[in-house]
Amino acid sequence: MIRRLRWWLIAIAVMCVLPLFVPLGFPVSVIRLLVMGSYLAIFAMSWDMMSGHTGYISFGHPFLIGLAGYVTAFLSHQEGFQPPHIVLPLAVTLPLGVAAAVGGGMLFFFPSMRVRGPYFALVSLAFMEILHRLIIAVRPEFTGGDRGLPNLPSVVMGAIPNYYLSLGLMFATAIGLWYVSRSNVGNVLKAIRMDEDVVEASGISTYRFKRFAFLLSAVTAGLGGVFYTHYLASINPRRAFSAILLLDIIISAVIGGMGTIVGPMFGGYFLTFILEYLRPYLFGQWRLLAYALVAIFMVIYKPKGFYGIAQDVASWFQTRKRRSAQYGY
Amino acid sequence: MATKLIEIKGLTKKFGGLVAVNDFSFHVEKGEALGLMGPNGSGKTTVFNLVMGDLKPDSGEIIFEGKDITNYPTYQRVKAGIARTYQVPRPFQELPVIEDIQMSTIPDSIMGSFRGRAMPLEKVAKIGEDVGLKEHLSMYPRELTMGDLRRVELAKALATNPKIVLLDEIFAGLTVAEIGELDTLLQQRRKKGLNFIVVSHDLKALAPLVDRVVVIHFGEFIAEGPFDKIVNDERVKAAYFG
Repeated sequence: MIRRLRWWLIAIAVMCVLPLFVPLGFPVSVIRLLVMGSYLAIFAMSWDMMSGHTGYISFGHPFLIGLAGYVTAFLSHQEGFQPPHIVLPLAVTLPLGVAAAVGGGMLFFFPSMRVRGPYFALVSLAFMEILHRLIIAVRPEFTGGDRGLPNLPSVVMGAIPNYYLSLGLMFATAIGLWYVSRSNVGNVLKAIRMDEDVVEASGISTYRFKRFAFLLSAVTAGLGGVFYTHYLASINPRRAFSAILLLDIIISAVIGGMGTIVGPMFGGYFLTFILEYLRPYLFGQWRLLAYALVAIFMVIYKPKGFYGIAQDVASWFQTRKRRSAQYGY
Repeated sequence: MATKLIEIKGLTKKFGGLVAVNDFSFHVEKGEALGLMGPNGSGKTTVFNLVMGDLKPDSGEIIFEGKDITNYPTYQRVKAGIARTYQVPRPFQELPVIEDIQMSTIPDSIMGSFRGRAMPLEKVAKIGEDVGLKEHLSMYPRELTMGDLRRVELAKALATNPKIVLLDEIFAGLTVAEIGELDTLLQQRRKKGLNFIVVSHDLKALAPLVDRVVVIHFGEFIAEGPFDKIVNDERVKAAYFG
């Protein structure tokens, strides 16, 4: 067990001690990037639970994240919702935000019982757009309208505490979802992606398993959403419901390896760093072109993503080891 | 009448203006193997889809062991004891054969699946070996012949522990030797008390397997009786040869 997990243990240990090097000159900007990476990883894993596993491709994940973010922002922002001026503590608003995401996730579930494939993707995209428009148009004095809600309280202050918070959340999400993915529940979900009718014909209620996957996905999206919102300390509709965030999430999952949890987690960090380090070389939207190309390349040549590449490398080493044991070369 | 395992009463299914199955009735006695015959496009697979719940009938009833299951979803019919094979095999492409068969034994509950209460692989392997898949258990569907894919279909159906299996064109595209093996296997299973409804174009393979044949043509019942009598029936000849 320890032997099999040793690379993970080393990675976790490195991530945990990293901030200790900040006084010695390790750049804080990298720590901040890692925080963004952790949140993107959470969103990508959450997307992977719903879409990577069951094959119901969601184009509306920012709906869940934004819904959770808006609920906690609305209830906790300093001017309070009016009248009267009530500002709820974060201990109350964070769970309410997650609960809202769970409600939203169940909204996703209903169309999934009737429509599949591209139709489901379009319905989920509609969810996101509808919420986007509603927040701008309906009672902007409450929601902040187009400007959003600024000056939200922070859960913890400073780059390093936020780093540990995001890292803890990320690991909790990763371990939980990874466990589900490896269990029979995960096997059923992946089988649903391959052929839902045949799973049903095996005597398994696909309804029950899909609902569970959507629920888990919504919980993790909500958790990520509320903490991400308070980390950024503001929320506005253009950022919360942007196609860019949606693409970041999907591409992280796709280049990492759909249906593997570990892949999307890695994809989240990879994408965050590559986008940041490409910034000096590619201006504005050209950066998006770069990662779109990476994604297209991956889908064509390595549909299983980085996870698939890692598997190939591991099996190559194993074959070599076995061969050298057998034939001595 | 406790001897009827499954009874189909007045089943009707329309696709737009096309009446695929029209007021079709038949039953299977306990311990019986029934052949469902009919020319191409006569509605045999539609009947299977209706019995499995893949399609909803416009009218009619399906009674299984005395219970009306017309409105059951597919998975509940499977849990009640009905299983099917598909005319075009539908294996899970990314799973090796043994895990594909195991999928049929995963319990239908989230907590049960977490505790891993699927059938252990040794027992799954036994089911695979029984249908002649011993050498193919760790292979992927893309490596298998049509004959082996049909065996996988059968193994998956048997793994759900059914009382009756609906076999859709299970002999199509097989070699004569493969048909013989499969025939023997099905007859062994019958002796152990498993019921079948068999759809097949291959009348020679069908003959030793079934006790009774029901003939369907343009979605309508036209004849029923023992195999030898049916193949000489004028209406059946007319349906097949025009």
